[in-house]
Amino acid sequence: MSSLGRHDSAAPERGSPSDFSRRRFLQVMGASMALASASGCTWDTEEILPFQRRPEGRIPGSTQRFATAIECSGVASALLVSSYDGRPIKIEGNPLRVQEGGACSARSQAAVLDLYDPDLSRGLVQVHEGVPYPRSWKEFDPWFAAELARRRAGGGAGLAILAEPSSSLTQAALRARFMEQFPRTRWVEWEPLARTQELEGARLAFGRGVRTLPRLETARTLACFDADILGEHPDALQLSRAFARRRDPDGGEVLRTWVFESTPSLTGAAADQRLALRCEQILPLVLALELRVLEALAGGGSNSAALLGSGFLKDPEVAATLEALAQELVAQRGRSLLIAGPRQPAAVHALLQRINSRLGNVGSTLLHVQAAVDEARDPAAELAQLVREIEAGAIDALLILGGNPVYDAPADVDLRRALRKLALSAHLGHYRDETSRACTWHLPRAHALESWGDARAWDGTVCTIQPLIDPLYERRSVIELLAGMCAITVSARELVRAAVAGSADEAQWRRILHDGMVPGSAFVAVECTLLDFEVEAPRARQLALEVANAQLELVFAADAKLHDGRSANNAWLQELPDAITKLCWGNAAIFAESTARQLGVEEGMLVRLALGGRELEVAATILPGQAPGSVTLALGYGRSGAGLVGGLAEQDVDPVGYDAYRLRASGALHFAGGLTVTPTDRSVELARTQDAPLIDAIGTQGRDERVGELLRVITLEQLRHTPDGEAHAAAHAAHGSLFAAAPQGEVRWGMSIDLNACIGCNACVIACQAENNVPVVGREQVIRNREMHWIRLDRYFVGEGAAARVRFQPMTCQHCESAPCEQVCPVAATVHSAEGLNEMVYNRCVGTRYCANNCPFKVRRFNFFNYHKQLEQKGRDVQRMLYNPEVTVRSRGVMEKCTFCVQRIQNAKIDAKNAGRKLADGDVTPACAQTCPTHAIVFGDLADEHSRVSRRRADRRAYTMLEELHIRQRTTYMARVDNPHPAAGAHGG
Amino acid sequence: MADDLRTPAAPVTIGEPYQRELLIEGDPSLGAVTRRVCGVVERPKPPRAWYVAFAISSSLTLLLMGMVVYLISTGVGVWGNNSPAFWGWDIVNFVFWVGIAHAGTLISAILFLLRQTWRTSINRAAEAMTLFAVCCAGLYPTIHVGRVWVAYWLFPIPNQMQMWPNFRSPLLWDVFAVSTYATVSALFWYMGLVPDLATLRDRATSKLRRGLYGFFALGWRGSAKHWQRFERAYLILAALATPLVLSVHSVVSFDFAVSQVPGWHTTIFPPYFVAGAIFSGFAMVVTIMVPARELFGLKQLVTLRHLENMNKVILATGCMVGFAYSTEFFIAWYGQNSFEGFAFLNRARGPYAWAYWTMVFCNVVAPQFFWSKRIRTSPWLMVGVAILVNVGMWLERFVIVVTSLTRDYLPSSWGYFKPTAVDVCTFAGTFGLFFTLFLLFCRFLPMVAIAEVKTVLPASKAHGEHGEEAAHG
Repeated sequence: MSSLGRHDSAAPERGSPSDFSRRRFLQVMGASMALASASGCTWDTEEILPFQRRPEGRIPGSTQRFATAIECSGVASALLVSSYDGRPIKIEGNPLRVQEGGACSARSQAAVLDLYDPDLSRGLVQVHEGVPYPRSWKEFDPWFAAELARRRAGGGAGLAILAEPSSSLTQAALRARFMEQFPRTRWVEWEPLARTQELEGARLAFGRGVRTLPRLETARTLACFDADILGEHPDALQLSRAFARRRDPDGGEVLRTWVFESTPSLTGAAADQRLALRCEQILPLVLALELRVLEALAGGGSNSAALLGSGFLKDPEVAATLEALAQELVAQRGRSLLIAGPRQPAAVHALLQRINSRLGNVGSTLLHVQAAVDEARDPAAELAQLVREIEAGAIDALLILGGNPVYDAPADVDLRRALRKLALSAHLGHYRDETSRACTWHLPRAHALESWGDARAWDGTVCTIQPLIDPLYERRSVIELLAGMCAITVSARELVRAAVAGSADEAQWRRILHDGMVPGSAFVAVECTLLDFEVEAPRARQLALEVANAQLELVFAADAKLHDGRSANNAWLQELPDAITKLCWGNAAIFAESTARQLGVEEGMLVRLALGGRELEVAATILPGQAPGSVTLALGYGRSGAGLVGGLAEQDVDPVGYDAYRLRASGALHFAGGLTVTPTDRSVELARTQDAPLIDAIGTQGRDERVGELLRVITLEQLRHTPDGEAHAAAHAAHGSLFAAAPQGEVRWGMSIDLNACIGCNACVIACQAENNVPVVGREQVIRNREMHWIRLDRYFVGEGAAARVRFQPMTCQHCESAPCEQVCPVAATVHSAEGLNEMVYNRCVGTRYCANNCPFKVRRFNFFNYHKQLEQKGRDVQRMLYNPEVTVRSRGVMEKCTFCVQRIQNAKIDAKNAGRKLADGDVTPACAQTCPTHAIVFGDLADEHSRVSRRRADRRAYTMLEELHIRQRTTYMARVDNPHPAAGAHGG
Repeated sequence: MADDLRTPAAPVTIGEPYQRELLIEGDPSLGAVTRRVCGVVERPKPPRAWYVAFAISSSLTLLLMGMVVYLISTGVGVWGNNSPAFWGWDIVNFVFWVGIAHAGTLISAILFLLRQTWRTSINRAAEAMTLFAVCCAGLYPTIHVGRVWVAYWLFPIPNQMQMWPNFRSPLLWDVFAVSTYATVSALFWYMGLVPDLATLRDRATSKLRRGLYGFFALGWRGSAKHWQRFERAYLILAALATPLVLSVHSVVSFDFAVSQVPGWHTTIFPPYFVAGAIFSGFAMVVTIMVPARELFGLKQLVTLRHLENMNKVILATGCMVGFAYSTEFFIAWYGQNSFEGFAFLNRARGPYAWAYWTMVFCNVVAPQFFWSKRIRTSPWLMVGVAILVNVGMWLERFVIVVTSLTRDYLPSSWGYFKPTAVDVCTFAGTFGLFFTLFLLFCRFLPMVAIAEVKTVLPASKAHGEHGEEAAHG
């Protein structure tokens, strides 16, 4: 093995660069040239042919769509990817997954940007004596095969494989095959955000690790305990859709949602009742709730008095909320649902399983399925064990399949040091990241859009993964690598087919590939019997109403954008404003206002967090709705090996944000008490797209006065008593206009946004960015308020302190009929179309910016610089492949804004014309509406009174923002309807 | 020049009510006026202070050029403009310079039509100032657009696309208003210069000077016919320029008033802007004339009475501006439009309150010192007040543009504007350009209208209104 490093002629001689002779220089340059051109020679397979005959169904210049999937943390998201001239440019949800209906999360959609990331690994690298050398698979394969052959006799002893958990059937089959050949090889799985405690809780309650599938369709009462089912949950799309349907005031009985959490989440924002509690308080709360529920069910005396009379539980607001919830749960038994989040310990999950069972919710509002091999697991302990074995010398070779364990392993597990002991360590990764840099070999991993595979959705449906493009560089998938290790020569496609479709015939297989999923492959519900179990009594700190410094709680949150850090080099996601904090390009420790005041912490201040002997300096931010005494820090930031976007120490690119993993020890992966916060006298400017700088007293007053008017919320009770929606409309009785209405065309495009459905998931923002070639501007420009998103989510807080509630309002060009922007443009660069679109003529725009000043919604975006200039840099030509050819790429000096996806309108018209029919309602769907998981955005023709958008416009909840300006927007909103409990605390509504 | 200063000021300039005051001190002969004014231009070398001032201002002009090149090659983003403050110092400075440009034409045209003969000593310099200020003002809207290379699309130039500008846009009205104003001001200024250029030509000792001045004097010989036509044309131009004084800043104010940004959308803007423009213009004239008369020994011609009269105008317009401020607040309350009400509260109490209250002090409080005759008539005190007024008027535009934009309708898009170093350097550079041009003007052209000043001398009275000596004294 050690002989390998030296036999390559391209390896430069050691010594300073000045020792190079001219001859040697030319040799090296020649070799590099050869290598560079070799990287373009991956297409030696038979698939690529010049189109002497046009393939069936392929029309040059028109998009093709393929169903595929992408796997994250072992869960597949079913996708439909648009490909233009052979290059994937846009990801949408697979519409055949009816529960999701074509919706797609922001993170999955942004994956297409990763495919063209110039930092994505383009070749193998071997580190020899500290110096990295470029290698090729041709060099790696024979050598690695020999290495495996050498170990075959020992059954693979000394070799370990550290993999990301995967639900892929193909991978499981290959793993079994490999383990057959190498039975003594250690196979360890690590995933920083594994949801093991849910399974452990189920094991405690039922004796088996079952997965719980919520069924909101039948629920009347939903109680979430630190569970963000609309945001962080792997099945959030399906749950969001069901949630929105159950919140529709015209859709039957309306769901009431209760949320108990430390940091406002999407679910907390959507809730009818919300209580801000520290994560550690959930356990005593659930204990008390169970006692109250059981008492109420039995109709008997009060065993719970002792617990209810202690600590925070006797706080009148908490007590009132708890009591109201208990009563409602019992009243709605069989139609209620209690869910805990993955951060909560197994005990909480077990308790909720018990309550759900006692209330008769199992089988009605939730199902249990057996998702994985039923075995007790503690991934952190397994990883620690692996490291110990490496340190002890029992393992001398490690192959890491995906993931980035050097970055995201628990802080007390020093994998990096252990890797230094190994002569052979290889990492298959998308990037040459922290883990790859700590290994002797880096193997480039193929992107999901360029590889074959499969994975299971949360409900168990097997989704196929098919390549949209041949690997752009020498990249391999996990399946290909494993197949190679098992000496299998069959192509990945055949392996996937065998694992997924089994004996299915060609037609069935094609059907599966076309649909992107295997019919009837979802998990089947299993019956579980409740066991008797005891839960430890809560400790004093968990019960405390308030905690002092050094007793504070630190919560490690999965980031809504970067997840565990894997998307850190995705500029779309980095620049996507967090739904709640509106922070982009970084994370910050979130403090409640009262806690910050008590500690002397201010917005943007750098604070030192000390937990369990580890310290980290991070920026602080203050967030209404945050639980006092709890500090939340998102994982996934502070990468030093992500790339030029997310931070790359090698090229002096500073990390984006702060690495929370440095404080995350295996004992407390999710939250931990005993945090000490020390303020410093330094501060940083945080990049955020709203409330920068923090609003002063007069601003707060002005904002609070108008928010209720701009973003209207009424209660279900009010809506029932005012059937014509007077409550919210009365404030602005129609003002007469002095001007005649503009002539109306045959088609009148319009949009309706239902604030009751919008959950603030950000999917529309990324959908628009991908569809419309919206540039990324970077952290400094965001600080200067120059972000370019065509659609944004306005977020307002209502109320103060921990009781503050979050409201969202998607905001994009309203396409006013009497548009203020059009009147003031001196060169007529923004004009009105006959169909009512407010159009922006880029090549007529001079850039006076007057239109944007005059826009009351500030939805116009100006190209202050040439934000596409980086494309001119070397090595970035691959990035050009990303752009949607149907949308102009704007250069500097021009204004731009939402077009209602005019290109989609044109395509729909062409299709309708070719089909010889009229445009029907639903033919045109802008990117934002297409991807919206809750159907909050509806687009259509207002001239057609039966269209969805017309019906919505006539709804009693419909209203126009700033109606008194007489600008007659084509976009209208529907008021949000809250369903607060009449008796619960003031946190409702 | 120091001997001129010794002339006792009070008895001459502040006359008894029953006695007509003299506008020019020391009763110089007609020839002496010519010699005094032409002397400045004909000196072999200007005073050392001129060189120092020119070195500074021309360096700043170079800085301006550098900034403009940087701006155009990189993008508007080098300035602090952002969303929602799509306009920042660019438009603030544009309006500021247009305002400065008001005094010249006002003095020349309106005071001429009103037969305010005291204008004669200061009108030339004030008109020159107008022109140079218009140069600085015109620069901003040109370079502030995103694509400077197509800025000419704002002009209604016939083209193959048959594409006309949008005549509904106040920015287009601006283009017409400012360009017309610049043209008429330049013509007016040049017209007035012709007899004096002829004087300089006749007195020239070198061939080059004679040739150059002669070329621009357009063959002026001072015949009665010339004078008759000159006077007629001057009157017509004055009549043409007069409405422009009112229209330019009214149109500039439409940029704001016609929009619907709370804090901009106000009907008071046209008169308020015009008063403010005259206010700032006169303050600038005072700021410049006091040192200039000192430097070039023109105290006899530009007397304290002139300065005092200008200070009275400053006091009057300052009061108008103050009244406008209070009216804005009254209407914001009286109109009960919550957005407008907030815009004004936010000015006084929001993040830019410092700018607002400094502005109120400079524009409303500072001019009140001019109620005192002593301050009104002591040159360096009045310069202090005038500089305060200039600062205040700049801040007024800043407050109007920035506070309104940064907090308009939707609180979600509220922001804050911070200028960059490029903003500051560009602004400093326009001052450089302004003073460079002014210093060149002082050096090469008669700063005082020789022919016109002579008409107000007692000596001229003996010969009727416009004696021929007036031209060739």
